[in-house]
Amino acid sequence: MNYQMNDFLFSMILTELEDAVGTENCSVRPIDKVTHSVDYYWLSRMWADRGCRMPEADFIVCPKDAAEVSKVLKIANYYKLPVTTWGAGGGTQGGAIPVCGGILLDTKRMNQIYEVNTEGMYIECGTGSIYKHIEWAANEVGKATMHYPSSLTCSTVGGFLAHRGIGVCSTKYGKIDDMVLGMEVVLPNGDIINTSPAPKHAAGPDLNQIFIGSEGTLGVITKAQMRIYDQPEERRFRGFLFQDMSGAFKASRELLQKFKPSVMRLYDEAETASLIKKIVGVERKGAFMNVAIEGCSDLVAVEEKILLDTFAKYGAEDLGSEYGEKWWKEKITFFYPGHMMDIPQMFGTMDTIAPYGKIEEIYWAMKKAIESNYPQAKFIAHFSHWYEWGAMLYDRFIIDGKDVPKDPVEALRLHQAVWSCGVRAALAHGGVVNDHHGVGIKLGRLMKEQYGPAMQVFEGLKKQLDPNGIMNPFKLGL
Amino acid sequence: MMMSEKSKQHVDSCRFCWMCHHICPIGNATGHERSTPRARALGISLVNRGAIALDEIMDNIYECAGCGACVHDCSTGWDPVMFTKETRLAAALDGKLPAYINTLLDNCLETGNAYGKTVTCETLAAAIAAHAKKEDTLLFLGVDAKYMACRSGYNAIRVLEKAGVSFSVLADEPASGAQLDFLIGAAEETKAQMKAASEVMNAYGTVVVFDPADAKTVKQLYREYGVEVSAKVVTFTAYLADLLKAGKLTPVAGGKTVVYQDPFQLARDLGETEEAREVIRAYATLEEMLLNRAETVWAGNILMAQYMPDVIKKVAARRIFNAKSIGAKVMVTASVSEYVALKSVEQNDVEILSLEELILAAEV
Repeated sequence: MNYQMNDFLFSMILTELEDAVGTENCSVRPIDKVTHSVDYYWLSRMWADRGCRMPEADFIVCPKDAAEVSKVLKIANYYKLPVTTWGAGGGTQGGAIPVCGGILLDTKRMNQIYEVNTEGMYIECGTGSIYKHIEWAANEVGKATMHYPSSLTCSTVGGFLAHRGIGVCSTKYGKIDDMVLGMEVVLPNGDIINTSPAPKHAAGPDLNQIFIGSEGTLGVITKAQMRIYDQPEERRFRGFLFQDMSGAFKASRELLQKFKPSVMRLYDEAETASLIKKIVGVERKGAFMNVAIEGCSDLVAVEEKILLDTFAKYGAEDLGSEYGEKWWKEKITFFYPGHMMDIPQMFGTMDTIAPYGKIEEIYWAMKKAIESNYPQAKFIAHFSHWYEWGAMLYDRFIIDGKDVPKDPVEALRLHQAVWSCGVRAALAHGGVVNDHHGVGIKLGRLMKEQYGPAMQVFEGLKKQLDPNGIMNPFKLGL
Repeated sequence: MMMSEKSKQHVDSCRFCWMCHHICPIGNATGHERSTPRARALGISLVNRGAIALDEIMDNIYECAGCGACVHDCSTGWDPVMFTKETRLAAALDGKLPAYINTLLDNCLETGNAYGKTVTCETLAAAIAAHAKKEDTLLFLGVDAKYMACRSGYNAIRVLEKAGVSFSVLADEPASGAQLDFLIGAAEETKAQMKAASEVMNAYGTVVVFDPADAKTVKQLYREYGVEVSAKVVTFTAYLADLLKAGKLTPVAGGKTVVYQDPFQLARDLGETEEAREVIRAYATLEEMLLNRAETVWAGNILMAQYMPDVIKKVAARRIFNAKSIGAKVMVTASVSEYVALKSVEQNDVEILSLEELILAAEV
């Protein structure tokens, strides 16, 4: 059914939504609309900076639990209204922007902490909880979440789950998809389901992993059980300087066959000479690497010896613990305005992941692609999430404000072109569209290029679960 | 919109920064995205760019408590409270204030308090009258204690009486200017009110300021606004700590285990965190909430409850939840305003006590 929205119908729908979530939690006020139209996506920020209004939702609703989400989705399905789920708006891929209008479903009223379970070592919470609040709840009982991304204070549990987030201690504790035990999800038709009483089962495919990373296209995650951990008895840092990144890759690959540090961050020469120099104070040529080891003190002492022996074999200069400790203290400072790239610069993080043997090649391919096609762009990178089999490349392009077109549409065109260039270089050498920021509207067009015919699996799920196509349209390439 | 270059710079830095998203007590209580410093900055920046009208963002501008949690949390030093207050002033000058703010403002200008009250309760009035004689020390109660929380004002007087202090209380106490500063920032009317209050205070050797909001105003804002106070100004909590040290208070160790709710004006603005704790430790066993001292979480006030009562109750309820989360049974506050907000929450898990109540219950 196609219809034209009119004032009468608009008012009718508004009363139904107010009935579902309460009048004070349903808004059509301009301030709520503009607030939910700009997230951390560079294009939305640029658009607002140029004095333009981004696409806005018609209704902003804030349900308090799955039952209210269910009511909202039933209304949306009946009227065929798009629904865009919003956590805290800290996403970089435009995943939370209501590009088609309709309903913006803000999850932050679902911020209840239902249970802090120190036996099963998890916190059950509403997915609208800011992750830092979960960390505080864990800290109150002497535990920790160990999920420490730079966006810890500005993203919700649901936001991290929706785009497969990751924190700086991931090498030891895993990604967000390793940290969740079970979830409650509201399907597009309003049905409320629970994924499984426990993960790591053989009762068919893992429902958790179907919804994690689905970016609001298959339903709304409303509750989750997130793992917590004992606070480590000790956390030791060690800074190293490698002559080049190749040695660091060999050393790290060998180290990870022996044990897992918590933090591992290798900076390319350009980032060592810029950000690391500015924030941490290392003023040396080469590739800086910071490693943290944590846990029981006895084990930490043994692991530190293995670390030093292994890295020495590959010519790493031991810089001691001071730089690492400073980095830990300042790890979020990097992302505050005044330290971080900001408008009028154009910038983006094109993180990708691949096995050893490919990841370094991808780095050079992306660097070459960006720098040769866009000489106005600076390319810096670090590698900050490591596995026994490979590592993640966190590479960024930065274009100075004077080289960014003033016309917003021209700026958009340049932004799109740089991204396509960089990500296609990654794909051509065995990388993926993205490692941990998600896809959103920014990279949706490239999903088919990565997945090819495998994309029909996602499309089939989408068609079955969301036949009216109301859930977060034009995101994730769906 | 009229705004200083400094504020514009802060607005443009904060509009796309999410780092303090977790810290706003209003945002955490409502779950509404607009109740965040970055949303406020975004709205103002769009006004500055002509993309939205000033009156369309003003409700949101008045949803900020000015508690400074975001300012304290910022690693770079950006100040959302500063540009929020400047926006209020700009709207006032431009005739764009919401109607409910105009009412509070008119009350402030006519009666000295935003509530439009002119009569205090009989018990407090009698207690004030008993201290009409001019002494060297003035107890400055403030408009909240005088008109909206008489029991708190009365208890403050009783505590000083117990300690044998000779002090005056003014029946015609002037407003400190704290409420006007909240409503319209650094307007001429605000400065005039502050100046009038300072002239009254300067007739005394020592001014003991009961309400932390007034204490911040007199000790910090007067200087910023160029208003001179020659009297020695001390917070009520610091004065009590001195009385305790001088042996003027005679506590009997009580059996209560309590947590202390730091008023942000004392903890963040004036850097005073230990004085109240010294007093509390003399009367009870003190435990700490996770977010304490300069990291304190504002628990609501009386002024904002005039136009957003449900939200203030939610703010207070969240803070009570913080206390409950660590197993606390009693929360002590030194803020008149937070006391009223906390007491407005219907719950039986955590007993709410003012510092004066704690003292009076355990004094010999």
